[in-house]
Formats: sequence, C-alpha cells, structure tokens
Amino acid sequence: MLAADVAGTPRVAAANAAAEADGIEIGEALADARAKSESLQVRAANPTADDAALRRLALWATRYTPTVAPWDETSGADGLFLDVAGAAHLFGGEAALISDLEQRLARFGLPAQLAVAETAGAAWALAHFRPATILAAGAERAALAPLPIEALRLSAETRRTMRQLGFRRIGTLLDKPRAPFVARFRRELLLRLDQMMGRAAEPLAFIQPPPVYHSLRYLLEPVGAQDAIVAIVSRLMQDIVHALTRDGVGARGLRLALYRVDGDVKNLDIGLTQATRSVPLVARLIALRLERATRTLDAGFGFEAIGLAVTAVERLEPGQGELIDGFEEAGADAWLDERCAALIDGLRQRLDPHCVRRLAPVASHLPERAETALAVADGPLPWPMPDAARPRPLLLFARAEPAEVMAQVPEGPPRRFRWRGVLHGVAKAQGPERIAAEWWRDGAHAPTRDYYLVEDEAGRRFWLYREGLYARETAAPRWFVHGLFA
Amino acid sequence: MPSSSRPISGQDRAIRAAIVDELRRRLPRMEGAGATARPLPFGLAALDRHLPQGGLTLGALHEVAPLAHGDTPAAFGFLVALLARLAGPAHRARPVLLVSSPRALADHGRPHGHGLQALALDPARLILVETRNETQALWAVEEAVRSAVPAAVASAIGKLDLKISQRLQLAAGEAGLPLVVLRPAQASEASAAATRWRIGAAEAARDRFGLMVGTRWTVRLERCRNGRTGEWLVELDHATHRFSLAAPLADPALSRRPGADAARRRAG
Repeated sequence: MLAADVAGTPRVAAANAAAEADGIEIGEALADARAKSESLQVRAANPTADDAALRRLALWATRYTPTVAPWDETSGADGLFLDVAGAAHLFGGEAALISDLEQRLARFGLPAQLAVAETAGAAWALAHFRPATILAAGAERAALAPLPIEALRLSAETRRTMRQLGFRRIGTLLDKPRAPFVARFRRELLLRLDQMMGRAAEPLAFIQPPPVYHSLRYLLEPVGAQDAIVAIVSRLMQDIVHALTRDGVGARGLRLALYRVDGDVKNLDIGLTQATRSVPLVARLIALRLERATRTLDAGFGFEAIGLAVTAVERLEPGQGELIDGFEEAGADAWLDERCAALIDGLRQRLDPHCVRRLAPVASHLPERAETALAVADGPLPWPMPDAARPRPLLLFARAEPAEVMAQVPEGPPRRFRWRGVLHGVAKAQGPERIAAEWWRDGAHAPTRDYYLVEDEAGRRFWLYREGLYARETAAPRWFVHGLFA
Repeated sequence: MPSSSRPISGQDRAIRAAIVDELRRRLPRMEGAGATARPLPFGLAALDRHLPQGGLTLGALHEVAPLAHGDTPAAFGFLVALLARLAGPAHRARPVLLVSSPRALADHGRPHGHGLQALALDPARLILVETRNETQALWAVEEAVRSAVPAAVASAIGKLDLKISQRLQLAAGEAGLPLVVLRPAQASEASAAATRWRIGAAEAARDRFGLMVGTRWTVRLERCRNGRTGEWLVELDHATHRFSLAAPLADPALSRRPGADAARRRAG
C-alpha cells in the first residue's frame, strides 16, 4: 500500500489487491487503514516516479500507434489514451488489438483495464466501469447512460455536489435542460458530458508530436545487430518513400524508434541538411547514428519492433535525386549540393550535430564577438571584404591570455613581453588600433582596448592589446595576448 | 653490385641521368596517383622546378609541419594559403573542410574567420569539423575525402603513422582531391605523403610606412616524392593573394648551400 500526505494527514494513495481485500479504500486516513489491517505494509508514494513510469509506458505504446497521450492530472494520471484510428486493422481489428495489448501488459506484470470507443471520454468511462468493451460508433448513449456520475471525469467537488443533488447515473443528466447546469457548475460538467458524447473536441497532449509519415515493422524474432536494424530501416523507408513521392515532399527530420522486448523504447532523432527521399542515404545515416549510439544503446534481449517516422518534411521537386548527367550546369550543381548535404549529414550523425559548424560574421568591432559558429545546416553567409588597415589574426584565443609587457611609455607600443613564461623581444610593432567597448552591452565603464600587431625577433607575430586607457580609465593598464598571426 | 663501386665515367653518368629522368616520368603513372589529376603549379618557377610535373599533385596527401612548436601558427597559415590555392576559385560551390581533433590546435586558439581572409581563404566556404578524439578525426577526414565533395580537405592530426598515411594517400588519390595535414613540430616519422613542408616564421613584408602587407615563411620542402627538396623564403601578398619569392633568397645561389645539397642528394 502507498501513502501520501494530503493536507497534513497521511492518506492511502494506492493499494494492491491484498489490501483492497482487507477493505482498505483509497483516500482514507492512514490511521484508519492500519486499524483495518494488521499486516499492512506502507510505502511513501512517489508521484515523480509514477509519471516517469507512465511516460515510459506511453513510449512503449507507440508500437501500436504513434499517437499516444498519457492521462493528465484531471484524468487521474494513471492511464493512456491511444488513438488507434487507422492502426487497428494492422492487428486484425480492435478486439485483437486490445487483447494483444492486454497480454503484453500482463507479461510486464501490469493488470490493465482496456476499452475502445469513439471518444476519449467514453473510452475513459468504459475502461473504468465496463472494461474490455468495444463500443461501436453511435452506441454511446445507450452504453453510457447506466454508468455512474464518476465516469464523467469530474473534480471531487462537482462529484460530491452531483451526489447531493441526487444524480447517480449519467443517463439522468443526458435529458435534462442544459441552462441550469451551466449556471450551477460553470463549464466542467457539460464539457465533460459533451466530450464523452463527441459533441465537443478534447485536445490530447501526445507524448510525441504525431509524425507526418510513419512506418512500423513487428519482428517475429527480436534483433539486436546493427546491420539487421539498418536492413529493416531500409525496408521501412521504402514504404514511406511512396507516400513522400506522392505528396511531392522529402524528409528533413526522421525518428527511429526501437522497441525492446522488455518494454523499453529507444528513440533516435536524425536531422537532415537537405530534404531527401533516398533510401540508401537514410540507411547510411541511421547506420552512422547507431554507431555513435552504441555506447548508450543497450539492445538487451533484442528489439521486437522497429518504427521509422518522418517528423519534418519539405517540398522536394520530383526527380531531383535521379539527375546523374553532370554535364548540365544546373543538374551538376543540384547533384553536388545533394552529395554535399549527404556528407555533412553523415558527419553530423556519426560525430555529433554540434561538431560540424560554419563560421559566420557578426557586425561587432570586438574581435571575440565578430564571428560566430553556426550549425552547418543554415547555409553560408557572405563575409565582408577585409580591411587592410585592420589586420586580424589567423588564430584567436577564446579568452585573451594575460601577458607582462614592458613599454617605454605607458601609452606606447610594447618593447618586450612575457607570455606563457617566455620572454619575447619586440622587433616591430604596428598600431595601436583602438577598439572601444560596447557600452550598450558591457556598461559605460568597460575599458577601451589598444591593439598592437607585434613581431618578435624570430618573426612570429602576436596580437596584443592594452586594456584601459592610461590615466583616463586606469592607472595600471593590463596587457593580453588575444591572437596569433601566420 | 660491381657497377656501384666503380667510379662513374662520363658516358655512364649520361646514361644514368637519362634512366633517372625516364623513371621520374614513369613512376607516378606506375603508382596510380597523380596520373589522372594534373598538378597545380605554385606560380613560382624556382619552387615548381622541384615538384613532380612542375606543381602540387591534386589527388595526394601533403604534410605541413612547423620548425618548432612556436611556429605552429605560421605553419597553419601556410596550410590555409595552400588550401586556398588548391581549392581554387573555380569550384565555388564546393566547400573546404577543416577537421581538427581537440588538442591539435588548442594551444594556439581557434581559426578566426576574419584572419583567414587575409590568407586568401573565403571563410564562407569553410566547414569546421571538431571531433572528440584522433580516431574520429581520422574517420571524418577519410569520409570527407572519399565523398569527393569538398574542393580540398585539411586536418590537424597529431598521430599519423605510415599505415594511416598510406590509407589517406590512397583515398586522396582515388578521389583526386587534395588533403593537407598539419603535423606537430616533432613529426618526422615515415609517411606516404607526396610532400612534407617544414614551415618557420619569418619577418613580414612591410610597406614604407611599416605596415604589414604580406606574410612570409621560410619554407623547406623536406620530402617530395618524385621531386627534389629545397628551401625558400616565400611571401604571400595580402591584397593580391599571390605567392612570390622574397628578395633575399630569390637568388638561386642561396639554395645551393651545403645543407640543401645534401638533402637533394638524399632525395635523388
């Protein structure tokens, strides 16, 4: 039995079959429960772990249909909605589907109450009060009328008031005029009633955004080897390609779902630089992604089902992938773009998406802010022409490194400097190039910098700066090495 | 063999020279690499003379190493300039890849886009690939080369033994695209690379106001397959992006120093 604190009193949050046999009810005070049963074992309820477990179960349930919504707080947070429209025939009908689901859940040691209905509200009511019902469309009224008011998913307060008013069955509510209920109960009661009867829409928060295209394969024998997974993915992608071609789109995002025998689900997301319908490319990217994931991916006893979903699509003109004659200018360019995107995607999948980047210019005078590294998928940005009067180093330190500098006059160029423990004599110094701080970001008192391009006696070139204007901003300016020239 | 111990007479010498010339012509074809790709000349006659077929082989592995650890920025700069030349402006759409493992350049900061421009490389073409370790870096390099998509591939790799270099050289030869690798200063192991350049920093070219207008390097061609070694003082003009031989060493007499001679004999 699990106990949780409700308003300062420990109360029964959940009880197993043995406890229920002793007459213990959910919601009663722990002291009362202890009085009823001597051998009661009490554990603290852990709602966070419950949520996580429900989420895991919801992910697992995506093996039946990609649209799975765990119940929210108002529905009890102890079950799942599965939108099986269009998925039931894969299992040989709704009855076969729920019996398969029940068997699998039983194998996990989870007793379940299942029901199928046209609306989420009706399914919830039936699962609670008439489990294993499969309700045909249009039969809601007859089937639901005899159910108690509790089947409406109402708040405890509304439920109590309804009981006091003498409403015990849903049927007694269905024929009553609506206006008095609206005045008395605001929205909740009628909304739940309408949702159950299919007169109002009920938004469901799916655990994953429903994919646009989706293909799933159940395996007779669980697989664990990487090449077996890749071979199956190729077949799944072939299924999806027909739909993609028909709609004139290509995949920009893919999600591979691996359903382990013990109910665990692994999701791998793959982003593409360019829309594609190419089966070999997808198979290759999946292979590379699996290679990266080998350390975290534990196949256990194998995967019993594998699903591939297209999560993002983009228009793709037909036939682009089949252009091979590289002599036409436009064709060659498109072909090269495609190969380039394939290379970049391959690197991103095998290494890490953040590892492959492109430099982009930023309009800032401060060298460390003048460029940024962008994800390569964004495409190149044009760079401004370099200014010969403002030389920039080839290599820039992310954080300027302090240096000890000896100068003839405090505001003059350096004569000698010590950096990383080595003393360099300055042969030539070019500068200063004065770069003011960005007061709108760093504040009015941020120091100004004077940059010098310094060449030491060995011909090595450094980019040094003095922080703070002597006598005006600071009495003891500090020096830093910010970059290195070729 | 008896012939090698005998002093070489004038006639023998001529025959031998002819045989060596013939071998030089045939070797690249026999090795498979470089036969299809035409070489890219530096535009410096004195330097191109030392390279096989008068230029840098495109489909090949080239190594760039600094003279000392402190010359790494100079060596990287030479690599960037070389890369820009090898990638060329003709293949506008094709990117240039720079693969680096975390410790390869860490001591010397990160490549700065605005600084690449001075060395003729358009940063918009550059794709940076930063890997977690050497193994991944090698994988990424080979992947990029084999795809034949980039105009050129560069990499900063610490470890490069004969076997890996043969593998990379083969990949570059098959794809016909240049692969330039930055090596640490202490690198001296055998490698299958077509060339190894030893780069040192040199006093920059300045205009009469003392402003830097060009980068100079002491460039030593340390190893060159089917070519000859040599040493020059090379300058890259920041405005025109052209290589030139800096005045002090342009004199051919200077490349005939004892050290250079010995190196050439070794190569021959």
